[in-house]
Amino acid sequence: MSLANRMALASPLIKAVCVEANEFPQLSNQFRVRGVPHTVINRKASFVGALPERDFVMAVLEGAGVTMDEPHDEVTGPSTEISA
Amino acid sequence: MPADRWGRRLVLTFYMALIPEPVRQQLKDRFETVLTGPVHLTLYTKPGSSRLILPAGLGCPTCEDARQMAELLRDAAPEKITLEVVDVSRDAARVEIDQIDDVPTIAIGSNSETGRVHFQGLPTGTEFPALIDAVERVSRSEHGLRPESVAALAKLTDPTELLVFATPT
Repeated sequence: MSLANRMALASPLIKAVCVEANEFPQLSNQFRVRGVPHTVINRKASFVGALPERDFVMAVLEGAGVTMDEPHDEVTGPSTEISA
Repeated sequence: MPADRWGRRLVLTFYMALIPEPVRQQLKDRFETVLTGPVHLTLYTKPGSSRLILPAGLGCPTCEDARQMAELLRDAAPEKITLEVVDVSRDAARVEIDQIDDVPTIAIGSNSETGRVHFQGLPTGTEFPALIDAVERVSRSEHGLRPESVAALAKLTDPTELLVFATPT
């Protein structure tokens, strides 16, 4: 969540919302949150896990529909599964 | 010490009593040396909420704790941090303008405008260090991203929302 916050500080177009998943189960279910951190971009694209900065930025840009110069694999990172 | 490591050390202490005096003092000492510029916190809440769990849409079991947490931050550096409390049940227009989905939400900005860093829900556990980190970075105008990342983010042309789901543990 820190990277998302830092991106919001770096870009006036980005808003970062850190959601306590257990406190908002309906929202968590809406975005099929099964592990954390789970990042949702513009309520459309998402990825799970803590990513390195470069991968995080690429994933956000791709999720926001920005055309990337270099192709990259689908990204995932270490995450914690949420028990039901 | 980085905010995340320092914050994790505080988390256990934090749970022992919501905000014990040693935590307040630690936060004051840290903010005194780390904060450089103003920080404006906006807490969106419902008044009269208790810890009672009510049907969806009614009540707010964590609003009172969130208020205490926001006041803890303000009181740790009152000369740098300001706090505004918005009652969402009375100010629907503000909720829409600030794009607030639910309560409690703490927004962090560098001036009286609503910031673009929000914490929805009570930011305890692993989220508490992130909250402290956000306050410090806003105060210092210090995102800390690599220049390549900033250049890449400049390709964005439309508003972009990042929802990051996390849990206290």
